[in-house]
Amino acid sequence: MHNFGVLIRAEATPTTKGKPQGAPIPDPVRFLKTSEAAALLNVSPNTLRAWERRFGYPKPQRSPGKHRLYTHGEIAALRDALQEGLSISSAVSRAREGLSADTDSLVGTLASFDRDRADAAMEAALALRSLERSVEEVLLPSLEELHRKHGADSARWAFAARWGDEWLRRAQRLAPPPVRQVSFLIGDASANELDPDSAAIRALELLCARAGARLLGLSVQGVSGIGEALAMLEPDAIVLAGGHARDDEVARWAYGVRSSVGALPVTLYRREVLRPLRVRTTGARLLSPSPSGALSELMEIVEVGRLGPTRRKEAAKSTTSLMPRERSAGA
Amino acid sequence: MTAEPLDSSLRVVGQPDSRPQKVFCGHCGRAPNGEPEPKKADPESRVCSNCGMGLLLQAPAEFAPSPSDPFLVVDGSLTICALSRVAEELLGITETEAVNRHIGEFLVPGDSEAPTSENLGALLAWAARGDAPAKSVVVRPTNTFGVRYWARVGPCGPPRAALLVLADAR
Repeated sequence: MHNFGVLIRAEATPTTKGKPQGAPIPDPVRFLKTSEAAALLNVSPNTLRAWERRFGYPKPQRSPGKHRLYTHGEIAALRDALQEGLSISSAVSRAREGLSADTDSLVGTLASFDRDRADAAMEAALALRSLERSVEEVLLPSLEELHRKHGADSARWAFAARWGDEWLRRAQRLAPPPVRQVSFLIGDASANELDPDSAAIRALELLCARAGARLLGLSVQGVSGIGEALAMLEPDAIVLAGGHARDDEVARWAYGVRSSVGALPVTLYRREVLRPLRVRTTGARLLSPSPSGALSELMEIVEVGRLGPTRRKEAAKSTTSLMPRERSAGA
Repeated sequence: MTAEPLDSSLRVVGQPDSRPQKVFCGHCGRAPNGEPEPKKADPESRVCSNCGMGLLLQAPAEFAPSPSDPFLVVDGSLTICALSRVAEELLGITETEAVNRHIGEFLVPGDSEAPTSENLGALLAWAARGDAPAKSVVVRPTNTFGVRYWARVGPCGPPRAALLVLADAR
């Protein structure tokens, strides 16, 4: 029986003791610092960094202080491969194969309509990677492969898309509460859960939530009364995500948003292919198709916007930007 | 229970090589810590302490490469497992490009009608099994004519593999 809930709940448990508020809450995945990873592999930290440059592996994440954080699973896989290998390259190749097996496993379980084994495959992926990387390196590629192989009108894709949607939504519900002073409005322009863009949009929402941002995801078809929703959120940036909705629908929604909250940075996520010319005229910025890349760019846009002339004074007052919202008195 | 005395004409298959062994890095070709011929590689640390980019391998001393020799390590299925830094320069490919590809994509026998005893594939397969003594053959880069190299083929490891050390044949 899978323990997905346990894993995610463990992540969601606020463990702020001794950590600056606003720092991402760590995964249950065991992370190693460079020195610890190097010690496990019996090499110097410099060698480990040289491997990253030459082979692109092991691929560390970065801590809030920009230090490298290696997942224990990756390092252990490499250590085992090194013991039986003839070169670093072949060992890296073998370790990578072990990690890519998770994608094959998930594709296989989804293609055979086995929900429990699909959950178990994601659990296996989570044992080796952070949730963000599991989503980007296993879940999304698996869904893309199924869509490519079987087509959007296949029962396999229908099953896989629904499973992916449920998994991502469940993970988002269990994400920690917002701790950063940043909020995004996501206008969902995808068709439904069978839209290939839908999973990527859910993934972006999940990553935003896990990064501590406040988030409101709305279909671009819902325009009436949008001002009330925005009054609660006060978004720092708008993301128009998905390529299904027509331009006039999206424009109507964007106009409604702008009428309520004024001019805000507008970004396009997974909508760039359809309307490249329009992008130039509206000044909307294209986001990277990968959820983590898009999140970084969004954060950067908000950061730059806050340092603009109108908000410079405000930013100077706060010690650090994008830090947790101050709790109101009595909260 | 006492062991039966072994017939002296029989030997255990895969008997460890009794010849003096040399440890070298599969990337830079140097002996660990700059020592000329250490007795044994440290099993806890197979990564070369000089360059950090190769694993320490072992081969018969008379056949092992020097740091200036270009060499390749090939497994029993004739797949390239390691390529030295000098071989990268000589063949114009990087180790990451070459690893997991068949040796035939990069080197072919210089003499296509060579007898079986000098067949490159057979020599490499035998060497990877540890069955054959070191032997020299002529090879050339695939799809390249007029360039030939002497190649010494012999066993190395662990794990068992064939070592192919190139030298100019002109």
